[in-house]
Amino acid sequence: MIRKTAAVLAGKATGTLSRITRRGGGTTLPGDVARVIDPKILTLLTQDLTHGSIVITGTNGKTTTARLVSWLLEGAGHKVVANRAGANLIFGATAAALNKAGPDGRLRADWGVFEIDEASLPRAIDEIQPRATVVLNLFRDQLDRYGELESIARKIEQALATLPEVARPVLNADDPRVAEIGLSLPRPPLWYGLDDPSVASKTLPHAADARTCPRCGASLIFDAVYVGHDGVYRCPNNDFARPEPELKATDIKLDGFDSLALTIKGTRIEMPLGGLYNCYNVLAAYATACSLGLEPGYIAERLRTFKAAFGRQERVEFRGRHLVLVLSKNPAGFNETVRTAVDLAGGKNFIIGLNDRKADGTDVSWIWDVDFEQLKGRADLVIPAGVRAYDLAVRLKYAGVKAEEPQTDPGKALDLLIKNTNEGDLAYLLCTYTAMLDLRGELVRRGWAQPYWET
Amino acid sequence: MGAAILGNVKLTVGWLYPDLMNIYGDRGNILTLLKRAEWHGLEPNLVELGRGPAPSEMDDVDIFFFGGGQDREQALIYDDLREFKQEPLQRAVEQNGAQVLAVCGGYQLLGHYYQTADGQKFDGIGMIDVTTQAGKKRFIGDVVVRTEIDTLTPTSLVGFENHSGRTFLGSQAMPLGKLMVGHGNNGSDGTEGAVQGNITGTYLHGSLLPKNPHLADYLIGRALKRRGGGALSHLDDSAELAAHGWILQRAQRR
Ligand SMILES: [Zn+2]
Repeated sequence: MIRKTAAVLAGKATGTLSRITRRGGGTTLPGDVARVIDPKILTLLTQDLTHGSIVITGTNGKTTTARLVSWLLEGAGHKVVANRAGANLIFGATAAALNKAGPDGRLRADWGVFEIDEASLPRAIDEIQPRATVVLNLFRDQLDRYGELESIARKIEQALATLPEVARPVLNADDPRVAEIGLSLPRPPLWYGLDDPSVASKTLPHAADARTCPRCGASLIFDAVYVGHDGVYRCPNNDFARPEPELKATDIKLDGFDSLALTIKGTRIEMPLGGLYNCYNVLAAYATACSLGLEPGYIAERLRTFKAAFGRQERVEFRGRHLVLVLSKNPAGFNETVRTAVDLAGGKNFIIGLNDRKADGTDVSWIWDVDFEQLKGRADLVIPAGVRAYDLAVRLKYAGVKAEEPQTDPGKALDLLIKNTNEGDLAYLLCTYTAMLDLRGELVRRGWAQPYWET
Repeated sequence: MGAAILGNVKLTVGWLYPDLMNIYGDRGNILTLLKRAEWHGLEPNLVELGRGPAPSEMDDVDIFFFGGGQDREQALIYDDLREFKQEPLQRAVEQNGAQVLAVCGGYQLLGHYYQTADGQKFDGIGMIDVTTQAGKKRFIGDVVVRTEIDTLTPTSLVGFENHSGRTFLGSQAMPLGKLMVGHGNNGSDGTEGAVQGNITGTYLHGSLLPKNPHLADYLIGRALKRRGGGALSHLDDSAELAAHGWILQRAQRR
């Protein structure tokens, strides 16, 4: 116990220091320090939680889903510990728990809500022993960092299989990789999925990467495609198919990045979050909250007033121009944000930002799997930006999209955007993680946006 | 853009296993070949060569592309390659003069074999004189190569590597180039890729051809020779070469 207290104090001191030196959000340094002193620190801290923890993983949607779950729990009067967006490695979760621990080393909260990256999930499950584990999707992402999807899926499956019966996993039935994991578990998970042909397409996008049957290797047949490779699928040899979801979203209505509506088992949800991909996040949060005993009526009421997390559909106003910041970090995510911006919001002006720092993934080949062709002839202004703006410019050229000169300087990219965007008009900033940080940093410098540690 | 000096000449690109061997933005190479063919005034045509018996169009292919896949996908095409594609592919290359560009997994599969860490050997189809064995450390990062193909200007090729295989060249294969930056074939002999007759193998993606338009045109030009085609028109490659140059500059700074 003395060791735990020492670890907490050392970690907290580091946390204060890094806030003073303004390293900003997502720092995991306190977690690193505390874990050196006591490697079991996260387990010990989460054991202090009066109710327990929820762990959320998946390639896309972790941050929003974790926010949604926290929002629901907080609204019901619970005190919640959650890690910051981007701090989704085990050190980030540890740092978050440390931050809320008292000087006696005890964590005083009811729930821990942790977003955890796919590769760290097995370790998080082992250390945190969550009450609920959510797996949103497994898309191709940052190949340099994670290695191959295959081995990650297998490790997640092994970790989920170790959980006790009360900790029922909440899984996306529409994702073939997630389904493969869930169908191999000793006990059935809580499956959720979308069920509305009016928002589905019939063909897989180029970015789809789970096309084959895990049993026989045949190419899967998709009767509906919602997002990436998520949809309603079956094997032609009848040995694998999308599990029947226990919770389905029907009657989906979408209005750009502004709002969505859907019905789950007779409960109508209407909320200020846009895009089909967010229907999955809302459904996952709803399923999780239900599994923890929250009432559908309360959930619907509480979600009406939800606010999106940093960089996830954040809005910034400047001299009558409306900038919408949307994080877009891999083919499946980018396809959806471009689709939402162009098809549903009628977007005309864009900054597309691509960086290749560690948090973005250093390998940028994936931009060739994004269907930027969607912008062709429909966007008026497209500015390739970020460290790899020149690569984006080539991608856009081969997509037949007329683009501006590449801008590696975020300030110049913004100047060009403002110059060419009329007052009262909307412009969309679709960027990878650190490209978004760079642009947002520039917005803060100009006084257009609040520093993110204050939002 | 380009003048239609060749008029109504078709250029057919054959993509081997587009739904399975498509990791690392392989689609960028396909798009580049098709778009540039169009800009050169040719009639581009894509033939997708999925699993199952080879379609008759495989005989019309001018440039084959064979990309990389994850382990599961690679296992799924392994038998199919031998059973249905190897023979028509060999015929197309040896008798019709078709070009082949193979990246990463495709490069390895065209060699003699791939040996896993525990010594198990998986036979390739032996169309190029290279062998590959598993390595411990994954080579990840920017690569700059000074190419051995003497007609290419600029002489540099740039790309990104992400592989743990160590490929060694036999006497029949020439390196695609000498490494300036990166690990290349095996991290020890300073070579990257292999060229043997009409076949080019490499670990470079990023994607490879969009940032190396001169290599794309080299492949298109060689493929057209068998149709009696003349020189290609000159395209405006400023965007492509700017991206190429950006990598060169960054590599020099490091
Ligand atoms: Zn099957």
